[in-house]
Amino acid sequence: TGGHTTEILRLLSCLSESYSPRHYVLADSDKMSEAKICSFEQKRAETFSKSQFTLDRIPRSREVRQSWISSVVTTLNSIFFSLPLTYKRKPDLILCNGPGTCVPVCLSAFLLGLLRIKRTIIVYVESICRVETLSLSGKILYYFSDYFIVQWPELKKKYPKSVYLGRIV
Amino acid sequence: FRFKESLAEDLQSAELVISHAGAGSCLETLEKGKPLIVVINDKLMDNHQLELAKQLHRDGCVLYCNCSTLVETLQSMDLSALKPFPAGQPEKFASFLDKVFGLQ
Repeated sequence: TGGHTTEILRLLSCLSESYSPRHYVLADSDKMSEAKICSFEQKRAETFSKSQFTLDRIPRSREVRQSWISSVVTTLNSIFFSLPLTYKRKPDLILCNGPGTCVPVCLSAFLLGLLRIKRTIIVYVESICRVETLSLSGKILYYFSDYFIVQWPELKKKYPKSVYLGRIV
Repeated sequence: FRFKESLAEDLQSAELVISHAGAGSCLETLEKGKPLIVVINDKLMDNHQLELAKQLHRDGCVLYCNCSTLVETLQSMDLSALKPFPAGQPEKFASFLDKVFGLQ
């Protein structure tokens, strides 16, 4: 969604074409991200002609301030969709930055890793908005990601296993 | 207007921006080098927004107030005291990922 999409496209801006093809996963309710992504990819194709990307949608895992119990149910529902999608794409790398949508995708990849079907490296970059506390996605994925990146030093102190590279968006 | 696809044009021609504490609004404004006053909505109390606004204020990059103190802030503000906001560095991220995958 919105801010997350802008941030993630900035993260992608300096990546080489080794990170291709790119598979974007959006929440079904997200209306604005698709345009931003297509615009980004179009510009990219001007420099890297063989550039490829795909776009898939899964049900949104959680609304803002949705209750705990119903969040578990809606997240499980999203996993029902994200698991076959992750299995189909078998990504080498999952890059995410916090929207609820990323949790089912990462958990699916984690599961496929446990089942020895595909080992995916999960890189989570916490949003620049998070200075002192982690988002809910961050709190969950701190334990499931291979690399957990924070953008402010206070978070690095609180979460020692995280990586601090300074501000990267 | 209620919603526009991009505020880039309006931002470019503005001399001062008064905004809520949303990260996108703050960052877009600061990156264009425009002075920014962030107004916190006490009633909304979204911690998410507050964290970044507080940090930007600590760093001296924005002025900060709530709805009731906005007028006072506008009257007494010193925009020249605001510090520039350094840009983020996505190249550091790219470099990090390249190391992870042995691409360097």
